[in-house]
Amino acid sequence: MIEVKMNSRRRAIVVSISAVATAILASSVIAGQFRGSDPEAFHAGLATGEIARVADIAAGDGLSSRGVFVQATDTGQLCLWDARSASSLERQGGCNSVDDPLGGSALSASLAFEGGPAVGDVQDARLIGLASREVVAVQVLMSDGTQREVRLRKAMLGSDEYRAFGYRFKKLDLRGGIGPTAVIARSATGDEIARQPTGIGG
Amino acid sequence: MKKLGAGLIAVVVALTLAAAALAGTTTYAGPQQWSQNQGAGSSFSSGWKYNYFFKNGSGYDATVTFIDNVSYSWHATVRNTSSTTYTYWFVSNVKRGYCRANSAYFWGSCAVVN
Repeated sequence: MIEVKMNSRRRAIVVSISAVATAILASSVIAGQFRGSDPEAFHAGLATGEIARVADIAAGDGLSSRGVFVQATDTGQLCLWDARSASSLERQGGCNSVDDPLGGSALSASLAFEGGPAVGDVQDARLIGLASREVVAVQVLMSDGTQREVRLRKAMLGSDEYRAFGYRFKKLDLRGGIGPTAVIARSATGDEIARQPTGIGG
Repeated sequence: MKKLGAGLIAVVVALTLAAAALAGTTTYAGPQQWSQNQGAGSSFSSGWKYNYFFKNGSGYDATVTFIDNVSYSWHATVRNTSSTTYTYWFVSNVKRGYCRANSAYFWGSCAVVN
């Protein structure tokens, strides 16, 4: 009787240890899926690599000009962000693997805004992005059905050629509750080759 | 065996506490699978400066922002499909980091750093 009790207690302990080990293993597997996702490591990575200005956001509506910057970090990230200057710490953007800067698409755009989340409460909204070299036009589809044309600039990342852009939305649009809903990339024939949904406040 | 079990639990607790004590970094959501329009927020603090949404790849639409505790407005908001979406906001206001998935079925985590 005592032996049976001991056996069941041992079994319970073994099961508990197995459960803990499985949880640890599962956590490791999940963590492994987030390569470079350690914030501390990410910080350290952003202090490395060269920064290049690839496009401009013009001053307007009482707001100062900004730059669009690309940074290939030593940790294998290709980051695209906008800021007042290359040395500014207040950066807004995103990073992809340096091996796939556009994240498998012909277009990688990033929307940044101050205020909101209601469109009418936004004081400044900017769109930045990179596109592949076959993209000849980038348009922003607005919530009222109109479109805004974005000016493209040639950008070299290593030996690869891209198109870069920076655009600031008019305050008149924002005050009227008109915000972006999608970014569209077109080829020389006018065909849509990429579309990225976006929007203020979801 | 009892001692072994207690020891193992103590190690797990110690590891958890050590991870939480990592200088200035707080993971406030995930790693987890996200559904569309799902959001998560950190605690309020005047110290938060960086807000990250780490995803398990590119192409997943997500937003990061800071929300102040007075007007509850959004600040330094960024939305994109990059594998990491991030924003920095260097003000001393009390705020919380907030992240939101605009697309579904991806793994990711959100973290604020001071």
